[in-house]
Amino acid sequence: MKMIASIGLFLSTVSAVPAAVPEKVVFNQHIRPILSDKCFSCHGLDAKHRKAELRLDTPEGAFADHDGAKAIVPGKLMESEAWKRILSKDADEMMPPPKSNKTLNDEERATIKRWIEQGAAYQKHWSFEAPLKSAAANSIDTFIQERLKREGLTMAPQADKETLARRAAFALTGLPPSVAEVDAFLADSAPDAYEKLVDRYLASPRYGEEMARHWLDVARYADTHGLHLDNERQMWAYRDWVVGSFNENQRFDQFTIEQLAGDQLPNPTMKQLIATGFNRCTATTSEGGSIDAEYTFRYAVERAATTAQTWMGLTAGCAQCHDHKFDPLSQKEFYSLYAFFHSSADPAMDGNALLTKPVMKITTPETDAKLAAATGKITETEKALEAAASVLVYNDPAKAEPRPPVAQAENVWFDDAFPAGANVMSSGHPLKLRTVENGAQVFSGKISIKRSGDGMVQDFYNGGAAPLAIPQDAVFFAHVFLDPANPPKSVMLQFHNNGGWNHRAVWGDYAAIEFGTVNTNERVNAGPLPEKGKWVRLEFPAEKLGIKTGDQLSGFALTQFGGLVFWDKIGVAGKSDPATDPSRSFLAWWKANTGKDVAGASAEVIKIVKAGPDKKPAAADEKKARDFYLATICSDTKAALGPVAAAVATAKKEQDDLDKIVPSTFIFKDLDKPRDSFVMMRGAYDKPGDKVIPATPAFLPPLAKAAERATRLDLAKWLVSPEHPLTARVTVNRFWHQFFGVGLVKSLGDFGSQGLPPTHPTLLDWLAVSFRDGGWDVKALVRQMVTSAAFRQSSRVSQDLVTRDPENLLLARGPRFRLDAEQVRDNVLAVAGLINLKMGGVGAKSYQPANIWEPVGFAGSNTRNYTQDKGDALYRRSIYAFFKRTAPPPFMSNFDAPNREQSCTVRERSNTPMQALQLMNDTQHVEAARVLAQRMLTEGGTEPTARITFAFRTILARRPEPEEMATLQQQLAAHLIRYQQDAEAAKKLIAIGESKAPPTLDPAQLAAHTLVASTLLNLDETVSRN
Amino acid sequence: MNPLLEYHRDLTRRQFFGDVGLRLGGAALAMMLQNTAQAAATSGRVHPPLPGLPHFKPKAKSIIYMHMNGGPSQLDTWDYKPKLGEFFDKDIPPSIQGGQRLSTMTSGQSRFPVAPSKFKFERMGKAGTWVNTDLLPYTSKIVDDIAVVKTVNTNAINHDPACTFVMTGREVPGYASIGSWLAYGLGSENNDLPAFVVFTPKWPEGSNGQALFTRMWSSGFLPTKHSGVAFRGAGDPVLYLPNPDGVSGSDRRAMLDAVNQLNQRNLTRLGDPETATRIAQYEMAFRMQTSVPELVDISNEPQSVMDLYGPKAKEPGSFAHSCLLARRLVERGVRVVQMFHRGWDQHGSLPAQLSGQCKDTDQGSAALVTDLKQRGLLDDTLVVWGGEFGRTVYSQGTLTKNDYGRDHHPRNFCMWLAGGGIKGGQTYGETDDFSYNVVENPVHINDLNATLLHCLGIDHDRLSYKFQGLDAKLTGVEASKVVKALLA
Repeated sequence: MKMIASIGLFLSTVSAVPAAVPEKVVFNQHIRPILSDKCFSCHGLDAKHRKAELRLDTPEGAFADHDGAKAIVPGKLMESEAWKRILSKDADEMMPPPKSNKTLNDEERATIKRWIEQGAAYQKHWSFEAPLKSAAANSIDTFIQERLKREGLTMAPQADKETLARRAAFALTGLPPSVAEVDAFLADSAPDAYEKLVDRYLASPRYGEEMARHWLDVARYADTHGLHLDNERQMWAYRDWVVGSFNENQRFDQFTIEQLAGDQLPNPTMKQLIATGFNRCTATTSEGGSIDAEYTFRYAVERAATTAQTWMGLTAGCAQCHDHKFDPLSQKEFYSLYAFFHSSADPAMDGNALLTKPVMKITTPETDAKLAAATGKITETEKALEAAASVLVYNDPAKAEPRPPVAQAENVWFDDAFPAGANVMSSGHPLKLRTVENGAQVFSGKISIKRSGDGMVQDFYNGGAAPLAIPQDAVFFAHVFLDPANPPKSVMLQFHNNGGWNHRAVWGDYAAIEFGTVNTNERVNAGPLPEKGKWVRLEFPAEKLGIKTGDQLSGFALTQFGGLVFWDKIGVAGKSDPATDPSRSFLAWWKANTGKDVAGASAEVIKIVKAGPDKKPAAADEKKARDFYLATICSDTKAALGPVAAAVATAKKEQDDLDKIVPSTFIFKDLDKPRDSFVMMRGAYDKPGDKVIPATPAFLPPLAKAAERATRLDLAKWLVSPEHPLTARVTVNRFWHQFFGVGLVKSLGDFGSQGLPPTHPTLLDWLAVSFRDGGWDVKALVRQMVTSAAFRQSSRVSQDLVTRDPENLLLARGPRFRLDAEQVRDNVLAVAGLINLKMGGVGAKSYQPANIWEPVGFAGSNTRNYTQDKGDALYRRSIYAFFKRTAPPPFMSNFDAPNREQSCTVRERSNTPMQALQLMNDTQHVEAARVLAQRMLTEGGTEPTARITFAFRTILARRPEPEEMATLQQQLAAHLIRYQQDAEAAKKLIAIGESKAPPTLDPAQLAAHTLVASTLLNLDETVSRN
Repeated sequence: MNPLLEYHRDLTRRQFFGDVGLRLGGAALAMMLQNTAQAAATSGRVHPPLPGLPHFKPKAKSIIYMHMNGGPSQLDTWDYKPKLGEFFDKDIPPSIQGGQRLSTMTSGQSRFPVAPSKFKFERMGKAGTWVNTDLLPYTSKIVDDIAVVKTVNTNAINHDPACTFVMTGREVPGYASIGSWLAYGLGSENNDLPAFVVFTPKWPEGSNGQALFTRMWSSGFLPTKHSGVAFRGAGDPVLYLPNPDGVSGSDRRAMLDAVNQLNQRNLTRLGDPETATRIAQYEMAFRMQTSVPELVDISNEPQSVMDLYGPKAKEPGSFAHSCLLARRLVERGVRVVQMFHRGWDQHGSLPAQLSGQCKDTDQGSAALVTDLKQRGLLDDTLVVWGGEFGRTVYSQGTLTKNDYGRDHHPRNFCMWLAGGGIKGGQTYGETDDFSYNVVENPVHINDLNATLLHCLGIDHDRLSYKFQGLDAKLTGVEASKVVKALLA
C-alpha cells in the first residue's frame, strides 16, 4: 500500500548522483534527513524520551552549553562534542549508540563534517514555510527541464498519437479510448488536437468517476462498517457526491469545507450534508462487550489523524501516545485537533445497522410529495379505524358478571402487519410485504411476508412493540407456503424473551441454520420440512422451547435457509382467562401497561395509558385508550375491525415501501453539548490528563475563530486559508502522483521531516501557489499536468536511465505504470462492449468466486453470504462495486486496492502470479474475451488479419506490428484446429459468463478467437498505462 | 530436511531459470537482471529474503501457526486449578478480581460465581504436564514435544481488536500481520508456491463462530505481495487457479507462449523492467497451476499417515485436512502456514461446545507435530497453537456443575509452542489459583511474537518498516523481550 523507499536509497540513486558529499551543504536537503533518521528519536522534539537533555532539531538546542561541552560549535569541528561522539569507537560514547541499531555511513559522516565546518546553519523544515512562487519559470516543463539539465539529461520525444490517446483516456476517465476516438484524434492535424482530446475527456462524466476513485481511498469509503460483524451500511450517496463534485469541478477549498464541516455552514444544503460523510467513513464496531468510551476515543483519534494526513500530510497519529518525535507536534496539540472531532453525535456502537444516526433521507420534491400523500392516507385510515372502534360494542371480560370461563383462544401476532411499533429487521434483502396483486401467496387478510435468498435469511424484531404474553398450554403457530420450484432447506421459528434469542424450532434440515446448541431448546428439531406448494400450519409447544406461561416475548424471527417462502398468520394459541388476558381485557391490558410507553400509539394515548386506570381518567381519555386498544391489540375485536384495520396496514405498508426506496446516508454532526476532551496519557482511552479545547498546532499559522470555541468550520477554513503552508502543496502533490505515477514528494502522506524531500521543490511550490491563487480549480490543474510536455513524453527507456532513475523521479521519460485494480476490470468490460455506464446508487455485486465472504463472515452478519447481481448490474464500473471491508472483492485486493479500513494515500503497484491467474481465468475476464471475440467475428471483417487488427486496436489503440501479427495469426490457426477437433471443449469455453454467445457463430471459431482476445487482454501493455 | 525433496527443489529451481532464460532470450534476461528482481535472480529465488536476513542462524525454517479463534478457555484445557472445586458458585474474591476491566457482556452481572472446570486433568508425559485428557486425548500424548505457556497476555478484551493485536501487534487496522512480516523478511524457498499460505477451515456446527478479518493475514503497510494467500476449503484451492472449462493445459501453454512473445516484443520496444517481471510472473502462475494441485493431491499419502490425522483428513476444508496440507507445504519450503479455526467463543454451554471444538482439532494438531517429527521436519518447523485471549474463571449466564459459560479474559491465557528452537516438555509461567492473574513469568503478545521471530532467526528490534514516519515493528514501540526459557 504505502511503499516508501528509505532515504538512503533515494539519495544514492537520484539526489546525490554521483554519490558524493555536496559542496554546499544545505540543512533541509542534506542534514535534516540524516538527523531525523538517526538522532531525533533521542535528541528531538519529544521531551519525554529525550536523552541527556540534548536536542539537535533546533540551533538553540544544538549549540547549548552542557557543563562546558557543546554538541555543535559552528565552524569548529573538533570542539563539537557531537562530532567526537560520531568518531568514537567506545561503545559507551559513540553516537548513534550500538543499541539503537542505527549507524552513520561514510557519506553521512562526511556530510555532517562539512556542514559543521561550513557553519552549521539550520533551516525550518521546508514544508512548514509558506510556498513562494518562483519567478524563474512559468510552466511545468521549464522546471522539469531545468532539473534534467543539471543532471545532464534531456526530455524524451513526444509519444506517438495512439499512445497519447490511450494514456490521456486512462488518466482522465479510467477507461480506454474507443477506436472512433483514436481515429478522430489521428485525423486531427491541428496543433491543439491533443488539447482538444483532453478537454473532451475532462468534460466526460467518466472523469468524475476516475478522480473520485483516488479520493475514496483517502476517504476510506466502503459499504460495510468494518469491525466485527461488518454489516452493510448505507452511505453510497457520499461516494456519488464525490463523483459529482469532480464532474462539476467544485473548487477544492469548497470541497474541503463541505466534507469537514458542511453541517456547520449556514442553512446547509442536502449536498453539503452528504459531503460530511467523509468523516463517517470511519470503520466502526458494535461488538458485544465493547466499551463505549474506548470507541468514542478511537473514532476521534482516527478522524483527527485522517484529516491531518489528508490535508496536511502530517503523521499526526504518532502524537497519540507522546510528543511527535520528528515533527514539532506535541501530544497536547494532537489532542487539540482530536477535540474538533471528539463531540461527534454518532454512537460508539454502530448497532450493526444499515443506518447509524445521524443520517439524512435523500429526498426530492417528488418523493416528498409521495411521502406526504402516504402519511395523509395513514391519518385518514386511522381515523376511520378509530371511528369504527368507537361504535363497537365491547364488554370488558374483567368487568363481566359472571366471570367468563377459561377457554382456548388464539392471539394473532402477524396478519397483514407486525405488532404496532415493531422494529422489523432483515438479513438478506429488506422486508417484503406482498399482496396477491404483487404475485404473492396470501393465507389470510391481504398481505403476506415474502422472503427468498441464498443461505440463512430472515425477518425479525426484538423491540419497539408491546410485549406478547404467553398463555397457558401455549402453542406457537405460523402459516408457511414453500415455493415448490425453489424450496428452502429448512424453516425456523424463533422467539425473543428476557433470556435472549435462544428459543428455536427448526423444520427440515436441522443442521443448515447454524444457530444454537443442538438438542437443547436453543435448537429443537420440530420435524420434516412442510409440504411444498400449499399453505401449511406449523405448530410448536412453547414449553419445549423453554418458554413458560406468563413469559413476555419481545419479538420473534422467521428464518429459512435458502429458497422462497411466504409467511402469514403467526401467533400463539392457548388457554386464556379472558378477564386477565391483556389481549382480551382492556382493563388487564391497561394495568399491565401502566407506567410504560405503549408502542405504536399516539403521544396522547401513551400518556393516558401510562398514567393507569387507577388515576381516574376523564371518560373521553379512557375512550381514546379503549379505541386504540380495540383497534390494534384486542384479539376479539381486531377481527371485527378487519377490513378497516387492513386499510391502515396497507397505508402503512405503502409508506414503508416508499420509505425504503428513498435512500438515506450517514452524515456528520456534533452533540448539542460538546464532550470534554483531554490529553490521553500514553494514548489510553481511560487515562485522561490535561483538558484540551479544539485548537491547531502552534508551528502552523494561527486559527481564525468565529466564536470562543473553535469549530470544525474554522478548522476547514484554516486548512484552505492562503497562509497555510501545507494544504495546497499536499493536494497538488497527490494529483501529481495520480498523473505521473510518483509524487514530487514521494511520501504523499508525510510532508514532515521523516518524509522525503521534494525532487522539484520550486515546481511543487509554483504549482501549489498557482492552484491556491487560481481559485483551487482542479480541472485547470489537471489540464496543466496532462498537457505538459513532461506528461506527453515517450516512455521508452534505456538501460542506463532505468538504472539511474528506476522510479522515473526526474521525468526524463514519460510515465508508464500498471493500471489500478478498477481500471484493469473496467478496461476489459469496455473493450468487450459489456460495460454498463449507469452512475451511482447502491453497491453492485459483480462476479466473485465462491467463498470470499463466507469463510470469514460472522454467522449473524448480513454480509456473510454474497449474492451476485444479475444481468446488466454485473458490468457496472468498479467504483460502484459493493465494498466489504473485512473481505474486499478479490479483483480489487489482488491488484493492490486497499481494504478501506483506514485512509490510504498511496496504492502499491505489485506484479504477482495471482494477478496473472486472475487475468487468465476469472469469469469476468474470460467472458469479456469471448464477447470481444464475438465482436471480432461480427464487426472485425472476414479475414484473420482484419479481425486481429480490430481486437488489437480496440484494446491497445495501435495497430499490430508485422511480427506481432504473425504471432497472433499462428496462435489463432493453432487454436482453431484444436477446437475444430474438440467441439465440446469449444462449447464449454464459450458458455462461460452470464451473457450468451450468439448461436449463429461457429463455436470453434468463437473459442479460438476467445483465446486470442484473452491473449491480448493479458499483455503487459494492456494492463499498463503507457 | 528430506534429501529427496531438497533435490526436487533444486531441480525445479534450475528448470525455472533455465526455462525463463530460454523463453526470454539472453537480452531480455539481462534486462531482468537489471531490475529490482536482481537479488532474486542471482540467488535463484522467487521470494528472496531481505539483505542481511536472517539476522542470525535460525532454529526454524518455517512456521505453522494454528490460531484458535474466539478465545479457547485456558481453564478447561491447560491451566489446571484444583482448588476451584471448593469455590463452586461462590463469588470470585475481590482481592483476585481486583477491579480489573470487564467486558460489558458481564460487567452488568450482579454476581461473578466461580465455575470450576468439569473436566478431568492428568499429568502427562515425562514432564508431567497438566492437561485436560478428556478433551485433548491426542495432544496429551505429545506434551513432551511442546512447551505450554500459561501466562500469555494481551491488551484487548474484545474479538476484533484482540485478533488484530495478536496477529499485527496493534489493536487497530492497518499494520502488517506476523505472517507477512516473515514473508517480507525471509522470503521463501519454494519458487512455485506462495511464501505465506492461509487456511480457514470449517468449524463445528453449534459453536459460536466469530468473524475473521483478512487483515489478520494481510500485509498492512508492507508491499501487498507479502499478504497471505488463502487456500480455500471449497472451490479452487487458490483463487482463479484452474483454466476455464474448455481450455486444456496445452491450450494454456500455447496461449502463454504467444503472451510471452508479445510481451518480449514490448520489452524490447520500451525497455520497462516491469514487463520482464510480468513475463516471469506468468511463468510462475503457470507452474502454480501444476504445483498447487500436486500439493493438495493427498492420494499418495500412506494409510498410516492418514490414520494419524484421523478420518476427517480426507475432507477438504476440515481442520485435519489443513494440518496435513500444512505439513506438505513446509516440506516444500513454504515459509509460513496459518490456520484460522473458528468457534472458540464459549459465553454459554461451554462444556458441550468446547468438546466439539477440541474433537475437531485435537487429533489433527497432535498428528501434525508427530508427523513432522517422524519425518525429521520438526526441528526445522516452529509450531504454534493458541487464540486471541482466554476466558474468565467466573461464569457468564447459567452455572451448574456441568454447564457454564465464560466471558473474555485478556490477562492470562495458554498457548503452546513446539519444534524448531523450542524446548519441549515444559510448562512456562504461573497464574493464581483462579487463573485470573499472572503470578510468575508473564508473556505479553509482543514478547511471544519476539520469541517466534527469534526462532526464525530474526531480531525483532531490527525488522522494521517505515510507516507514517516511524520505524514500525511487529512488536510495537515499547521494549519487548525474547522469552529465553522457552528456547532449546
